[in-house]
Amino acid sequence: MKTETTKKAAEAIFNSFDGIVPAALPPFFYSRLLARMQREKDETVATIFLLRPAFLTISLSLVLVLNVLFLVQPAGKSGPSTVSAGKTGIESFAKAYNLGTTAVYE
Amino acid sequence: MSEQELVEQLRHGDEEAFKKLVTLFQEKVFNTALNFLQNQQDAEDIAQEVFIQVYHSVSLFKSNSTLSTWIYRICITKCLDHTRNKKRKKRFAFISSLFSEKNVLLHEAPDFNHPGLQLDRKEDAAILFKMVNSLPGNQKTAFLLNKIDGLSYMEIGAIMKLSESAVDSLLQRAKQNLRKKINEQKP
Repeated sequence: MKTETTKKAAEAIFNSFDGIVPAALPPFFYSRLLARMQREKDETVATIFLLRPAFLTISLSLVLVLNVLFLVQPAGKSGPSTVSAGKTGIESFAKAYNLGTTAVYE
Repeated sequence: MSEQELVEQLRHGDEEAFKKLVTLFQEKVFNTALNFLQNQQDAEDIAQEVFIQVYHSVSLFKSNSTLSTWIYRICITKCLDHTRNKKRKKRFAFISSLFSEKNVLLHEAPDFNHPGLQLDRKEDAAILFKMVNSLPGNQKTAFLLNKIDGLSYMEIGAIMKLSESAVDSLLQRAKQNLRKKINEQKP
């Protein structure tokens, strides 16, 4: 008796797909599909633009020019000006706090 | 419009032809993906991917098979890939949870309730869906296409690139395995 019930239950599970009807599509399926296609197209265009030889050459040249500028500029301009600025800074500090050389022996 | 004409228009990037193709196959593709993946959101994503691939690679379509067979093939390949990726992610999540400090339990997917089922069969069908998931990929494909989509052995053979006898053998093995699993669960 018990085996018969178990067999029936197993058969019910096995045949449970019988009479299944297709599920309804999510709403606006086509619109969402088009939106996704457009999004993927835009992303591809952006990637292609970044990989264009002209864009790559210009970017590389810009980096090289900036490097050269940074290498050349400090040696030509900022070297002496820093020293003079440093000197005036010390002098004005000494003056303000009355730390001139003579002040020690006073 | 014949299938050949539709394919020809798709090859020329005709938007109206694409809309017609989607209207013709959207329900089949979505339902096949839903039966495979047992998740509405995943099924919609895969259905979209199928149509995007059809749009981009229609030039590669040789008329050796029907358009329907070709679309089914793309859909099943994508579903199997998706299942494989999901399993890999789950395995990785399990391994990382072993090494993490937090003792978090892994989230197990809830039972799938197909929206097209009669109410009195939902519970049994959820058990059967779970068991179908444990079948090898080709047995699962043959079983779902035959049992739910109602495709003939010849159509399944064309989709899976198998002979009718091979499909028959796959189905027999799938049914055997399922009966065994059901009997194990209900001793």
